[in-house]
Amino acid sequence: MNARRAGILVLLAALALASAASAASAAAITWTVDPAHSQLTFHPRLAGGEFAGRFERFEATIRFDPADLAHSSLLVVVDLLGARTGDTDRDTALQGSDFFQTTRWPKGTFTSTGIKSLGGGRYAATGKLTLRDVTRDVRVQFRFDSPAPSGGAARMTGSSNVRRLEFGVGQGDWRSTEWLDDAVRIEFDLALRGVR
Amino acid sequence: MPLRNTAEAYGSLSKFLHWAIVLLIVPQYFLAEAAEELPDGLEKLQLIDWHKSLGMLVLLLALARIGWKVMNRGMPGPIGEPWQRKVAAAGHGLLYLLILAQPISGWAMSSAANYPVTLFGWFQFPALVAENHDLHESLEEVHEVLFFLMLAVAVVHILAALYHHFVLKDGVLRRMLPFSRP
Repeated sequence: MNARRAGILVLLAALALASAASAASAAAITWTVDPAHSQLTFHPRLAGGEFAGRFERFEATIRFDPADLAHSSLLVVVDLLGARTGDTDRDTALQGSDFFQTTRWPKGTFTSTGIKSLGGGRYAATGKLTLRDVTRDVRVQFRFDSPAPSGGAARMTGSSNVRRLEFGVGQGDWRSTEWLDDAVRIEFDLALRGVR
Repeated sequence: MPLRNTAEAYGSLSKFLHWAIVLLIVPQYFLAEAAEELPDGLEKLQLIDWHKSLGMLVLLLALARIGWKVMNRGMPGPIGEPWQRKVAAAGHGLLYLLILAQPISGWAMSSAANYPVTLFGWFQFPALVAENHDLHESLEEVHEVLFFLMLAVAVVHILAALYHHFVLKDGVLRRMLPFSRP
């Protein structure tokens, strides 16, 4: 093998590696969530007035690239034991059998099944939400703002309207919607960092 | 009966506001006590919601009453010795202060525990203070102490009115009675 042929082989090998690398980057960017600057909140209506509660612990696996929505996905796992509303009685009730029943179902999960663009940096994700032992389709709308589209820092903010009774969140008296509305708005504001 | 106050008697609006506030405050104690007895749940929520809505209505009526009083200088003049007038003015001032402070302390107490405050669900008032567990506990005590203070001043107010009516027979009570003429 002469020096020229060896040089061509090296060049081919380099090209092969480069194309493999670019194929890998076709899978959307992976983002990590900075929990200190992110929040996941829920907004029930109680006796005609709205209040906000928060999920203090959740993990999100986010693969998202505005240019490659087909390979983008959202997976959020919420530790329901971290639900806080500012009142210990109400927090205790949320953990109980009438609501999340965390002794049996401590986690809530959302897995996206598809993401489409709504234009202007806005997106809609459809997916499966599981609470207690019930899984239902829900729709999430969000904005994605990133100064550098290929990574760096980004912000994902959005909301979803969940019907709590579809999931059995509200047993006994709380099946009634007279004092506690069925619709509960979920909001999130996530500080993201691209890791590829 | 004129709407405005005259030198002889309170007008119909002042009388209406005075008695409406009385009628709204009386059930407040019983609603709060009944709710206290109940376990957490829908029934308790309903009673507390009534208590809160009535309280906010008292606050609005108290503001209207004080506003109307300020706009309506021609109210019945004071009666009695100078010291009696001073005591009466101080007592009335304290009552006005309490019918404002009591609902405001309750409102803040709800806000501190992140509970919404509405007027029978028709209208939501903004949170008065941020969520704060310790503040909620303190305000709960303030709300209770203010109630007993209000009760004490109201009892003196009623006894004074009865004293004027039955002992002095000077027509002071009749000036505020509904449907009565001086």
